[in-house]
Amino acid sequence: MIEIQNLFKTFDSVPVLNGLCLSVREGETKVVIGRSGVGKSVLLKSIVGILRPDSGSIRIAGQEVVGMPERQYDTLRKQIGLVFQNGALFDSMSVGDNVAFVTDEFMNISRQERGGRVARALSLVGLEGVEDMMPSQLSGGMRKRVSLARVLCMEPRIILYDEPTSEVDPVTADALIRLINGMRDRLGVTSIVVTHDMSAAYRLADSIAMFYHGQVIADAAPEEIRNSHHPVVRQFIEGNSSGPITDDESLKFGHLK
Amino acid sequence: MTLPLLARAGDRLTAFIVYVGELAVLWGRIMFLLFTTPLHWYRFLIQARRVGLGSFFISSLVAFFIGIIIALQMAYLMMQMSAEIYIPKVIAVSMARELAPVLTALIVAGRIGAGITAEIGSMVATEQVDALKAFAVDPLKYLAVPRFLSLVVMLPLLAFFATVIGIVGGFVICYFKLSLDGYLYWQMVCDALVPKDILTGLIKTLFFAMIIALVGCLEGLKVRGGADGVGRATTVAVVRSFVLIIASDCFFTFIFYFVFNI
Ligand SMILES: Nc1ncnc2c1ncn2[C@@H]1O[C@H](COP(=O)(O)OP(=O)(O)OP(=O)(O)O)[C@@H](O)[C@H]1O
Ligand SMILES: [Mg+2]
Repeated sequence: MIEIQNLFKTFDSVPVLNGLCLSVREGETKVVIGRSGVGKSVLLKSIVGILRPDSGSIRIAGQEVVGMPERQYDTLRKQIGLVFQNGALFDSMSVGDNVAFVTDEFMNISRQERGGRVARALSLVGLEGVEDMMPSQLSGGMRKRVSLARVLCMEPRIILYDEPTSEVDPVTADALIRLINGMRDRLGVTSIVVTHDMSAAYRLADSIAMFYHGQVIADAAPEEIRNSHHPVVRQFIEGNSSGPITDDESLKFGHLK
Repeated sequence: MTLPLLARAGDRLTAFIVYVGELAVLWGRIMFLLFTTPLHWYRFLIQARRVGLGSFFISSLVAFFIGIIIALQMAYLMMQMSAEIYIPKVIAVSMARELAPVLTALIVAGRIGAGITAEIGSMVATEQVDALKAFAVDPLKYLAVPRFLSLVVMLPLLAFFATVIGIVGGFVICYFKLSLDGYLYWQMVCDALVPKDILTGLIKTLFFAMIIALVGCLEGLKVRGGADGVGRATTVAVVRSFVLIIASDCFFTFIFYFVFNI
């Protein structure tokens, strides 16, 4: 469904994606892990074309999108939902209008049907009766879930989640994990989930890809990742602050001398 | 000593030309979207209300005072020549051709242009513009087109009302202070004003409106960074639209005078 080859992206001569290759099969949930700042969000933004990569290839449903004209890209974008890491809610609109955004823009449905869709999307993420609130009145976790509801409401075939469980309590996180798995099992949605929560990663993933220095250094089933002997992967999933990653970056924080 | 100075001036000039080019490109894209995609009336009306109703009071107030000021200043001069009778003409023509369009444009640039930059800029800073793109919505279509159109429609209206109210301001002085006959005042005003006076004023306001909208949107979309980026962009937008309004005013007055002799 999504085929990424040799993707390069540089910001102010700092390479972020450095020949990255990743492929996601249709109906699969791919979990992406990696250090903060490694370029996970950049990858998701490159897939929807908010950021344009310097070179490389991204094929979505067989179509090459790097260099694709905006208009053509837009038809593809309507099938891809991106849940932004910071929510990116439209703060001049109510929660209800945010959730119905894509519906209002592109679909001609009755008020009643619209209301039903919004309420359903919100209840999927465990929110009720918040339609008339403004985004500024919500908590961080609620905002994140509204952002997820906004994507669910557009019923995309591909969903890119940028840390969907990072700001919510464990109970809600569990519900969201079930929801994401349900989207795959019942609707056949293809997903990429970026997360730092390893237990969530194991539960969500059909396969886990680890980013390191702008490349994928491991891409395998959750069990294989869990038992991996790769020193970098080991250090990461064990969450150890001393090991090859930190030696390599000569980062010494957390170790008082 | 002079060479680096000249070189700097040259750089400035190039930067200015490049900037005008950027505005022209943005103008082209907005015009294209305006004519090729359906207009969202609702969004246009929200913006039009913000520009029109919101600025009406302040621009009228300023025009009223300016009318009074010109009347008094002219009274000082004209009374020396016993030519008070020309005051209505001076007020009418200067308001219609010059003062109402420019002052209204400057007020709206400060009120609305800065607001556009701040609003779009903070949307850029919080990734809302990215979200629009991700949802297959063109930010120019969604944000720039309604603002552009509302300014182009409302600014000429505001300037027209400002002209009328400025002339009323002059009337107050002429009638109560200089004891000019009220009927005579309006007679003189109507005699002085010919369609081309109104027309040149309105043509100018059309361009001022485009400048305000284009600079506001461009600076907003160019925002990098957070609150300080938005603040800086807002300042830059106001300064640039002021300069461009005055410069284009000079340019148009020049053209009208030397090319069309009006
Ligand atoms: N618009 C941008 N301009 C300049 N640099 C950027 C931009 N976006 C991202 N970067 C840089 O790219 C790198 C990767 O950023 P990214 O947001 O993808 O990290 P991430 O893997 O999502 O991290 P986290 O887990 O903390 O969200 C960072 O070093 C960041 O400084
Ligand atoms: Mg990120």
